Amino acid sequence: MGNIDQKSIIIDVDKCTGCHGCEMACSLQHFDLCSPRYSRIRIQEFRDVNTFVPVTCQACKDAACIKTCPMNARVRLDNGAVVTNEERCIGCKTCIFSCRFGAIFMNPKTNLPMSCDLCEGDESGPWCVEACTMQKALLFLDQKEAVKVKSREWAGIVKKDFTLPGEGDELEFKDSGYGSSKE
Amino acid sequence: MDGWMGRRLRIDLTNRKHEVETLSVDYCRKWIGGRGFNSDVVYHETKQGMDPYDPDSPLCFASGSLSGTFAPTSGRTVGSARSPMTCSTMGTNIHGHGDTNMGGSFGPMLRYAGYDQLIVKGKADGPIYLYINDDKIEFRDASHLWGMHTKKATNILLDEIGDHDVRITIIGPAGENLVRFACVINSFSSAGGRTGIGAVMGSKNLKAIVVNGSHPVTIADPDAFKKECLSLRRKIYHSEAAIRHRALGSLELFDGGNSIGINAHKNCSTGYMEGLEEAYSSAKWNREYLFRRKACWSCPVACGRYTYIKEGKYAGFHGGGPEMESLCNLGPRIDSVDIPGVTVMCGLANELGMDTISAGAALSWTMEAFEKGYITEKDTDGIRLEWGDVEKSMEVLRMIANREGFGDILAEGNIRVAEKLNIGMDIVPHCRGLEHISVDPRIALGFSLGYAMSTRGSDHLKNYSCLEFPGLAENLKDRVNEVLSEETAKKFWDTFPEELHLVDTKPELCTWSERNKCVADLVGCCCDPIASWGTAGTWKEAYAPMLKSATGVGLTDEEIFNAAERTICIERAHWLREGSGKQDDTHIDRYFDKPVVDGPFKGLKIDREDWAWAQQEYYKLHGWDDAGFISEEKAKELGVPEIIPDLESGKKIFLKWIQENASARGRK
Repeated sequence: MGNIDQKSIIIDVDKCTGCHGCEMACSLQHFDLCSPRYSRIRIQEFRDVNTFVPVTCQACKDAACIKTCPMNARVRLDNGAVVTNEERCIGCKTCIFSCRFGAIFMNPKTNLPMSCDLCEGDESGPWCVEACTMQKALLFLDQKEAVKVKSREWAGIVKKDFTLPGEGDELEFKDSGYGSSKE
Repeated sequence: MDGWMGRRLRIDLTNRKHEVETLSVDYCRKWIGGRGFNSDVVYHETKQGMDPYDPDSPLCFASGSLSGTFAPTSGRTVGSARSPMTCSTMGTNIHGHGDTNMGGSFGPMLRYAGYDQLIVKGKADGPIYLYINDDKIEFRDASHLWGMHTKKATNILLDEIGDHDVRITIIGPAGENLVRFACVINSFSSAGGRTGIGAVMGSKNLKAIVVNGSHPVTIADPDAFKKECLSLRRKIYHSEAAIRHRALGSLELFDGGNSIGINAHKNCSTGYMEGLEEAYSSAKWNREYLFRRKACWSCPVACGRYTYIKEGKYAGFHGGGPEMESLCNLGPRIDSVDIPGVTVMCGLANELGMDTISAGAALSWTMEAFEKGYITEKDTDGIRLEWGDVEKSMEVLRMIANREGFGDILAEGNIRVAEKLNIGMDIVPHCRGLEHISVDPRIALGFSLGYAMSTRGSDHLKNYSCLEFPGLAENLKDRVNEVLSEETAKKFWDTFPEELHLVDTKPELCTWSERNKCVADLVGCCCDPIASWGTAGTWKEAYAPMLKSATGVGLTDEEIFNAAERTICIERAHWLREGSGKQDDTHIDRYFDKPVVDGPFKGLKIDREDWAWAQQEYYKLHGWDDAGFISEEKAKELGVPEIIPDLESGKKIFLKWIQENASARGRK
């Protein structure tokens, strides 16, 4: 992504609760139906330790999928997202195996690769982020904002050691969104 | 078909065969889904007097008609069977309807595999597990998993199948050994606890059900559905109650617990516990033991907790839970303030696969029986259970799960223990053989009526009349006025906040709450947004619009409402068929005779005359007769005329019992 003002989906693994709401939102938005197999964001589960990792296209600046696609079918949209041009794609799956995140999935309808288009054209922004409003494991931010949000959040945790105890005991959970607030 | 998958899967474990049955649109409209489908099958495919462990008795799992979609909180699954746990005053060998509602993600995956419902019948010749991979059904050997704790077995299954996206519902040693209150666990720690569904699964030699699905749930009117889902989601995102629930989990109920008497202190002898608010402070619990939240499928709130204990005696323990009811029934109920200990015990109950509420009931009954001198060490193989002894309690839980020594007796559930030992029947707080949850029935009369009228035995989740609590009613004044008739609403506000302890408004409130909750069970959504927080509106505002646009068959509010009433009616009929009517719709004498001994509600008890009035009012509102039997007209009106002969034969059993019992009482 060349432009610093371009927004992308920021993932905070520590906040994911494994509800799969993002998958439901994505499949509903793109295919008018609900199924994890039709989603362009997928949760990888490690339920025995309650850890969930949302995997979606990171719209890499130097994207391996664009470089390796023999048909030049992986293209960047104006909003920065990298998607498959289905007219060119021959379904060789090179992009899937060249992606370090495993964030390109097969479209069950066309049997061609698909990846996150950041809900291009939808004014309200990506639906998966909307679905994660409460947990904030997914955020839709530009690079400047993302850094700021992250440092502010960390500072908020540290701040507790320097302020008076007692007040707003429960609020601290609300603000930080972190499970283990002591760390 | 849109909205529904339109199919159900029938499994015959005896012959290792399966059959896919197509569901007609009319059938789906009639029962909506989830609890409706299950209650229909459990009623119609069992007979009066059938043993719950009979191989022909069906074990059903069904997800609601919104499960597996973008609809918020739509991850609920209902497991139903004839319950081995519940019974009647007429005898502990009389069983009735049993079901259990669990979160997690099993139900949605069942829908992705293409089935609205799974019906398991028969009995396998050895331990097996079921692997449902879309249309491919496999019966696999599970002897290597037999006897194993739930978490370990789930992990082994995940590795064996090699796909971490599959969903597993499993039983622990308790289910295998037919502990009557054994639960089923899905997704590692989402439990379907009550009424012993795990034991039914164990009786079929079925260790686990593994589901993998790749079909989508189609939506009839996607544009409307998207709009409604988003609007309900946004209501939840910005509701104060949901934000609190997310931050603190259901444990937040401890914070004001004493002020409304919802802590089952010392075997439910009182709802008040000195020092509880400090010891069980939810902020403190979350600060010290919360590792990360966990959510059911498609739920934005994530009230589920995942515990990690960093230091102390239990350092290193991690596991899903606890919920408030688990913590309360294994904590205050046995008079313990050892928070990490009780938390670990909740985890242990999950691992062993038993219902935390009934497990807490078994422990606390034993403790009270020791205190009262009903039993001695001679009866319990030398184990003495004192109030608050967490470590011994854990040992006893293990004994129950493995049916060792005294645990073998306790595994039968309190009511059967008391009957067998012929002592302490007066200290088993139960309705229909299922033990109470933590709300004191003398304090909150709506819950109290709910326990007694519940179609699965004492439980709050069939009749979730949270509106009676002054705190909620005050915030939702319009709701109270909307759901109650003008006259009753006036009575409600005239006596507010004392109405909590009065029966006057309760029959009406309970009847409404019961249907409200039932709709949530039919569509597979959580009852919290429409009942205990109430911030999302009633079922009409919250779930009905989504259901209509997802299915697109022109469902009306009236139809949905009738389906809920029909479901309640068929579950009730299950009991009535056995002859269990009015005589079981009541509490033990303790709550009528002995007032609350401490706390702000000292002196309260249930008035027998009030109770009799409330009972009759409640029957009238449902269209039942004065013995609690569904009238012929009502059955016809609800489109279930086939239950009429069963009701007639049930009435005969009922009348015979009443007669015999009256003469027996006369002799005394």
